[in-house]
Amino acid sequence: MKKILVTVLCSLFALSLTGCGTKTSDVDPIAQYGCDVLNVYNWGEYVGENVIGNFERQYNVKVNYSLFDSNEVMYTKLLGGNEYDILVPSDYMIERLVEENLLQPIDWNLITNKENLYDGIMGAAFDPENTYSAPYFWGSVGIVYNKNNVDPSDVEKEGFNVLKNSKYANRVYMYDSERDSFMIALKALGYSMNTENMDEINEAYNWLLELDKNVNPAYVTDEVIDSMVNGEKDLAVVYSGDAAYILSENEDMDYYMPETGTNIWVDAMVIPANSKCPALAHEFINFVLTDDASYDNSSTVGYASSNKNVLEEMTAEGGEFDGNPAYLPRTDGPNDEFFKHNEAMKKVLSDLWIKVKNQ
Amino acid sequence: MKSFSRLVYPYVVWAAIFIVVPMLLIVLYAFTKEGNGVLTLQFTFDNFARFFSDSIFPNVLWRSLKLAIITTVICILIGYPAAYFMSKLHVNKRTMMVLLITLPMWINMLVRTYAWRGILLDVPVSGEIKVYIGMVYNFLPFMILQIYTSLLKMDPSLIAAANDLGANKFETFRRVVLPLSIPGVISGITLVFLPAVSSFFIPKLLGGGDFVLVGNLIENYFVSTGDWNFGSAISLIMAMIILISMFVTKKLDYESAEVGD
Repeated sequence: MKKILVTVLCSLFALSLTGCGTKTSDVDPIAQYGCDVLNVYNWGEYVGENVIGNFERQYNVKVNYSLFDSNEVMYTKLLGGNEYDILVPSDYMIERLVEENLLQPIDWNLITNKENLYDGIMGAAFDPENTYSAPYFWGSVGIVYNKNNVDPSDVEKEGFNVLKNSKYANRVYMYDSERDSFMIALKALGYSMNTENMDEINEAYNWLLELDKNVNPAYVTDEVIDSMVNGEKDLAVVYSGDAAYILSENEDMDYYMPETGTNIWVDAMVIPANSKCPALAHEFINFVLTDDASYDNSSTVGYASSNKNVLEEMTAEGGEFDGNPAYLPRTDGPNDEFFKHNEAMKKVLSDLWIKVKNQ
Repeated sequence: MKSFSRLVYPYVVWAAIFIVVPMLLIVLYAFTKEGNGVLTLQFTFDNFARFFSDSIFPNVLWRSLKLAIITTVICILIGYPAAYFMSKLHVNKRTMMVLLITLPMWINMLVRTYAWRGILLDVPVSGEIKVYIGMVYNFLPFMILQIYTSLLKMDPSLIAAANDLGANKFETFRRVVLPLSIPGVISGITLVFLPAVSSFFIPKLLGGGDFVLVGNLIENYFVSTGDWNFGSAISLIMAMIILISMFVTKKLDYESAEVGD
């Protein structure tokens, strides 16, 4: 027993020594940035395997990395007085944070890797000059379907309407969020997903009721990923990056972005106004935009990178997502839209969505 | 003894900070309009009016109550016989049975419910039945253990006396054992009904997302919509119902205690 203990202790000691040996550069973060801890608040399952570790070693700092599962949870936490240095919210939430003066501008002179950013997602309406936000991932919302059980021509012909085709009753996953569901209904009907016209919204509400009645869908969120990998149902509303992952795991699945338009979104890094460590936050943004870190992120998570070199590499012949239709969203869809922040409409839709699910 | 009563102060402080203050905040939110600074508070009953103006919300409330009541009744029907036969076992076996019943509780409830999701995935029953299975599974141990403890505490000489006085097995059960075990059933009801009426992740995971209960409603208005005022109003209505049901069970408890004496 004693022997084992000694061996364990020795090896632990040896490990800790090598640990020290490989540790970090000799940067003094306090002198350079005024702090040595960075608080990052990001989506769950949204970062490459080595990105955080590499950043910590290179800058000799500690990163407190915490996770949220919706923009609204993040917003609630931020308002609750939690202090973060980096957030990665979505477009409409960035619009809201800017409106409420909760962000500080990014000093783009410090972001030497800004050349890497993909032009197609810069200067979007939620932050026209990218004053506050540096894109992280972007994507669309589309339909994942099983090629063997669903006629591809149905999907292409009907677009989002295929979801309420009673031919596919009990085989559909809808996304359980008022935002995405009403986006789908409004786009299927040919309206803007940011509409404030109550007639259009009522029409969309009836569209969703009809869907609920016709196909008895399961309303899910992230569970859809594993379920579609296992092929449990045949049609699902999925975010493009998750779809890219599903397609790479299950070759029966295909992805379609309806011609009537869909939601294009961008999740971007921002620095909260109350950040205690903006200098280091800028370094972090710059670090994430390097080709290495962006590649690691995109390869691990499956969402389209904000880094144009990585996008090119991933989709080039032999690249990791070569031939995967879900990886790269389109930027030329005439009917595609970003979400706009609209608190009043959100309430209306939220109440209606509860009614849809309660029928 | 009096000097020891100071030992209660830490709990009083704890309760004040973590129970009383949050409750007061919920009351405040429930009766105010959104976006109020502390200085410009505007009181209103709108949140409550909104709840009762649309049949959807009372419907959800009724459905939650129904779910909790049915879950509790099933738990009694399954739990009482189980507890009764457990209490009759030899002491070694009894300990083993208690261990077996508490064993699943060592695993987090959420994890167990996820396991049920996988098990029930391809079973062709409605989401509602799946929710009931998950609810009864999760809350049954509380019911069994409460009834079991009350049966075990019972003085066996009372049963012997009933037999001596000529009561048959059924009469002994109905007139002696059952009344004396009612306090156990009632604390079992409290332990099952209260968490059942406010549970939200079991229905969410097993009900396929279209099984909205009060718990889901509150979660939705706090987390997703960000309408804390309406969410608080729903929470308050819910708290009222829980208070009333606790009052009723307490009253039943006293009455049965009187009968027992």
